[in-house]
Amino acid sequence: MNRLTRIPVLARARNFASHSGSPLSSPNTVGPYQVFDRYAKRLQKDRSARRDDGEKSRTTDYVRDEVADRMMDRLLDIKRKFNTILDLGSGPGHLSKLLDAEITKKVVMLDSSEKLLHREPDSEFEVDVERIHADEERLLDVVAPNSQEAILSCLSLHWINDLPGVLVQIKEALQPDGVFIGAMFGGDTLFELRTSLQLAQLEREGGISPHVSPMTDTRDVSNLLGRAGFALLTVDVDEVRVAYPSMFELMEDLRDMGENNTIVGRRNFVHRDTLAAASAIYKALHGNEDGSVPATFQIIWMIGWKPAPNQPKPLERGSGKTNLKDVL
Amino acid sequence: MNATTTNGSTPLRRFAVHATTTCATHAEAYGKCILATYTDVRKDACKEEFAKFGACLREAVSCDY
Repeated sequence: MNRLTRIPVLARARNFASHSGSPLSSPNTVGPYQVFDRYAKRLQKDRSARRDDGEKSRTTDYVRDEVADRMMDRLLDIKRKFNTILDLGSGPGHLSKLLDAEITKKVVMLDSSEKLLHREPDSEFEVDVERIHADEERLLDVVAPNSQEAILSCLSLHWINDLPGVLVQIKEALQPDGVFIGAMFGGDTLFELRTSLQLAQLEREGGISPHVSPMTDTRDVSNLLGRAGFALLTVDVDEVRVAYPSMFELMEDLRDMGENNTIVGRRNFVHRDTLAAASAIYKALHGNEDGSVPATFQIIWMIGWKPAPNQPKPLERGSGKTNLKDVL
Repeated sequence: MNATTTNGSTPLRRFAVHATTTCATHAEAYGKCILATYTDVRKDACKEEFAKFGACLREAVSCDY
């Protein structure tokens, strides 16, 4: 009975619902793809690079350095020598620093945070560096279509609002048979922090407000790459787990990484009671035996190639001649 | 990674030390209470445990000044 009466109510509510594609009229009603406040993110990143003259930002490089290292492994699998590589959302150049003359002649770093982009001097890099200060979401404004041999993105796509749109722009910017390799935080990233804060808010305040970004699911990424028109897709997941003395060090390090909360309509303030409660819950629910607490960073890897006529293609479905049963 | 809470230079860091070290036993009791009820948490489900934890924190913070 309950179910039946709910339907007309919903139908009526739909008539009054505003069109989701409407332009920005107030901070809390936004377009379909506005999840993150990109302006606030830029300020946070700039501030993180300035704190203690960049020292804070350098000591918290450990996650990005590790992932950049793993990305190099994937890049080295490609037996090709590049003239230029575009490092999209490069930050201070965790990945660009690892590139050498065997791989490319030049690297172009692009980031929306000017301070972070210029944190390291040119002498830190082995290859020629060009730095472009631009919004990652408007890639085609600064990069010509069909111009790039390779685009890499190491841990920046998780702050992109319009991920499908940016993937299309990346594909457009690539030359035919150009490659895109991306790594982004997603899936279960920081689930310990998310659940602890939610439980603490619920028990102390009686409601929740988001403090950890919504994450892209692994399954969605292959669909998005396919939809953007990439060929020969590879998507996989791996994890970096870091142990911290307590939740407070984790939150401080996240801030120094420039990874604070930037969800549109977020609450900028966490009550002290809630913080203390969350720290206690974090330890009780997720704590390690040695008294430290773990934080999981899940990384979604994506590799896609811009289609070209001379590129190897998968055979037609059903055209196989060998029965797999005979082989196995 | 960096043991920053040991040098209590900012109010938040001092607070962090109290929440994790000074009042560790009360924090643990509160954590255990949530652990026992986390599939059905509602407001003030662990009110008593938090009252003790909170009192300890306030006491510790007031001693800083």
